[in-house]
Amino acid sequence: MTSRIRGLFSGGTSPALLSLAALPMAVILVLVIAMFWVSVQKGALGTPSAVYTLTNYSAVFGDPFVVSVVVNTLIFTISATLVALAIGLPIAWLVERTTLPGKTFLYAIMTLGLLIPGIYTAMGWTLIAHPRIGLLNRWLVDLFGLDDGPINIATPIGMGFVQGLSLAALAFILTSQMFRAMNPSLEEAARVHGMGYGKIIRRVTLPLARPGILAAVIYIFTIGIATFDIPAILGLGNRVYLLSTFIYLKVHPQGAGLPEYGITGVVGAFMIVVAGMLTLWYGQVLRQGHRFEVVTGKGYKPALIPLGRWSIFAWALILGYALISKLIPLLLIAYAALMPYFVPPSLEAMQQFSMTHFYGMDWELVSRGLKNTVVLVAVVPLAVLLLAFTISWLIVRSRSRVRYLLEFGAFLPQALPEVILAIGALLLALFVIGKNVPLYGSVWIIAIVYIVARLAFATRALNGSLLQIHRELEEAAFVSGLSTARTAWRVLFPLIRPTLFSVWIWTALLVYRELTAAVFLAVHDNITLPAVIWSYWFSGSINKASAVTLLMTLVLAPLIFIAWWFGRRSQVSLN
Amino acid sequence: MKVVRVLAGALSLLTLASYARAATLAELIEGAKKEGVLRGQWGQASFGGSEGFKEIVSAMNKKYKTDIKGQYTPGPDMQALMLRVIQENAAGQPASTDVYLGNAQAMLDGLNAKVMRPTTYNQFIQDKPATEGKFNPIAADGTHVAFATAVVGVQYNTNFVKGNDIPKKIEDVLNPKWKGKIASTPYAAGIREFATPDFLGREKVVDFTRKLSKQIAGLMRCGEVERITSGEFIMLAFTCGGNDVNVARRTGAPVGHAVMEEGTVLHMRYAAIPKNSRSPNAAGLFIHFLMSAEGQELLWRMDGLDLHLFPGSQTKRELDRVRAAKGKVIINSPEWLASFKDYTAIQKELENILRQK
Repeated sequence: MTSRIRGLFSGGTSPALLSLAALPMAVILVLVIAMFWVSVQKGALGTPSAVYTLTNYSAVFGDPFVVSVVVNTLIFTISATLVALAIGLPIAWLVERTTLPGKTFLYAIMTLGLLIPGIYTAMGWTLIAHPRIGLLNRWLVDLFGLDDGPINIATPIGMGFVQGLSLAALAFILTSQMFRAMNPSLEEAARVHGMGYGKIIRRVTLPLARPGILAAVIYIFTIGIATFDIPAILGLGNRVYLLSTFIYLKVHPQGAGLPEYGITGVVGAFMIVVAGMLTLWYGQVLRQGHRFEVVTGKGYKPALIPLGRWSIFAWALILGYALISKLIPLLLIAYAALMPYFVPPSLEAMQQFSMTHFYGMDWELVSRGLKNTVVLVAVVPLAVLLLAFTISWLIVRSRSRVRYLLEFGAFLPQALPEVILAIGALLLALFVIGKNVPLYGSVWIIAIVYIVARLAFATRALNGSLLQIHRELEEAAFVSGLSTARTAWRVLFPLIRPTLFSVWIWTALLVYRELTAAVFLAVHDNITLPAVIWSYWFSGSINKASAVTLLMTLVLAPLIFIAWWFGRRSQVSLN
Repeated sequence: MKVVRVLAGALSLLTLASYARAATLAELIEGAKKEGVLRGQWGQASFGGSEGFKEIVSAMNKKYKTDIKGQYTPGPDMQALMLRVIQENAAGQPASTDVYLGNAQAMLDGLNAKVMRPTTYNQFIQDKPATEGKFNPIAADGTHVAFATAVVGVQYNTNFVKGNDIPKKIEDVLNPKWKGKIASTPYAAGIREFATPDFLGREKVVDFTRKLSKQIAGLMRCGEVERITSGEFIMLAFTCGGNDVNVARRTGAPVGHAVMEEGTVLHMRYAAIPKNSRSPNAAGLFIHFLMSAEGQELLWRMDGLDLHLFPGSQTKRELDRVRAAKGKVIINSPEWLASFKDYTAIQKELENILRQK
């Protein structure tokens, strides 16, 4: 018994646990290698006509069109990051550092805002700010007698704005904890010396928050650079291409020619390198964060800034954000779902409201999509929990050097765009293991990509929880004769139950709304509900896409309520 | 366990053998009954999408007294779907769709890749359509069947494009009035055929496409008629056919379709069975139904098209009008496309021009 404990905690690591933890790492590695392998091939993959060459690299980096795609991606990602922070950061500050009333409700709005699929927001904003059909543009045209709508959402900046609205909730979550942990003694000292609130924010609060904000910027930037849904819905039809949509078109060419996997591989490899660099920077920023810590500890209680009547103004801004980012898009989607064919909203048009798209809905398709989505929601979070718990336990408890490798490997999926993971899986399933392992076209290929993609978030949350539990408890269990599995079940799981449940529900919800990987991997039998919506939208059936979206929202609503209720009770946040 | 495996193997061999022998309609029906499911995948905007598929399978079941379950999945455009089928066949995977429905270019890609299953259509299709010149809707080698005709033109929103504004000639779509308001397709529908020596030729059309690329606000796929009715784009130059307008107009949607005075291209719609189809008999029966009077009537109702070579065809009436106005009419078939060795290269060139602003 003693040797087992010694073996586990003093360098030796259980081979069974290590194998389990290594499994997702191996999958990630294989997917990354697949991308580089494809990038040096030309011709029909998996056939003798495929040859190894570096011409894909010269074709990509010598093509001015690709340069414009990279520039668009940068503009889009910077805009998205700025908008997300411009909204999320002040709200986080209001919640954590002021006397703003109704904070629980505000938490609900912001955290649950993250769960509303970007595809909804994008569809809604097409109907709001499209230059010709956007409601806002039409009003402006009528009001000022203009020839054309002055706002164009189908530009890199416009799309970045919509993406920023979608990511503002994430910016809030990432920065609110930073404000919460920040000791206010320096601010109080500044106030004692006669500084006004504005000056304190500028000279004290923001410099103190700099590492936290920078970490949030990098995190959001990494997500933005590979986002697919919003650029696809707003950009593809308007000839505004980003890296993710460029890859999509190379894998699913519209017109003459075969899929250009080699080109995709090069762009993917480029994205991996960029994302890897951002991850390294992110890690560095997090490590430097401690230099800005101002001792926190027992008796810590931040002094809150009294808002007074400014609360009304603050709440107006917050509700304005909720209105434009979620509510209005959702209302417009409901409008589109009820129209027999789409025309811009007006009272006259509303007289044509009908349930045609609901009566004529292809229920077989919707139920197939729902069934696959339910399978993913049931399986992925459990698998993520099992793997993430194993990895986290090894990272936190093991003294073996392997734990550093596991830590790096577990965070790697955060940096890897899901598009890359999906294409890697697609190519492997088609051309490498296809004849022996029937993964292509099955829901399991999507499940594998989702599990890998969600691992970083889960291990991050579980690492934090496990660190808070002293190992003496486990040692006592071992001494009492419990096996490793029973120790985990009887001792650790009850103690970290809130985190486990939080990870489970968040993973389930994120899996439910996920589109990117599904679009690349769904074929027929394995189509998911978001992929059904995308297929309808992409083939111009705006009304049908909206009708399915409404149904999906109805299914999502109870899940969101459970998440909110549980989050409120356990005070568990994403961080 | 071993016995089960042997039995399963024997059963699958039996199914394949029954398909290979399905020279008569009765055999085809029996084979289809055993398969039980027919998976269909194409764009939601093509052939009535999910509703169309549901209706056709239901009518087919009624006609042949079968109980085949139809499963539809919205798919990519016709050429992209054919590429997927080719890719799946190369990788030894089952086809995403049991029956392929698409255009001549996609069919040519499929024939070049040899992924279409030769079938004895000539033996079990009773009411054969007429031929037109060298064009026979039923391919001699039995790999594909032309089951419908779409007439290429310009689609427009009737609230914005009225009277004399409706384009009559190809160049009319370049009117500065339409700048930033109209769309084209990402696959250069219609334009790619205009670039053949039989029509306007490459040079003239490449020059036209460069101008068109500066004129358009974006790209949309054929059949996305809601993007025209909504006013997102007020015109599509050029269409894959006017059939979706035929359907949309029945609901009162503000949309019209005009064929150019220079003439038109007939985008034939083809049906074929991929070699890796999981239900080849049901697919064969589906194609047989499409070639029947009931099938043609249903196609007209669901997707506004039928085969102009059948007596009583609605499309033929529109075509007669074009022919009466002395417009050139070209039938786009895989055989016709194969006669131009640069066709794919020109299509790619035109697509690249259209994709860039």
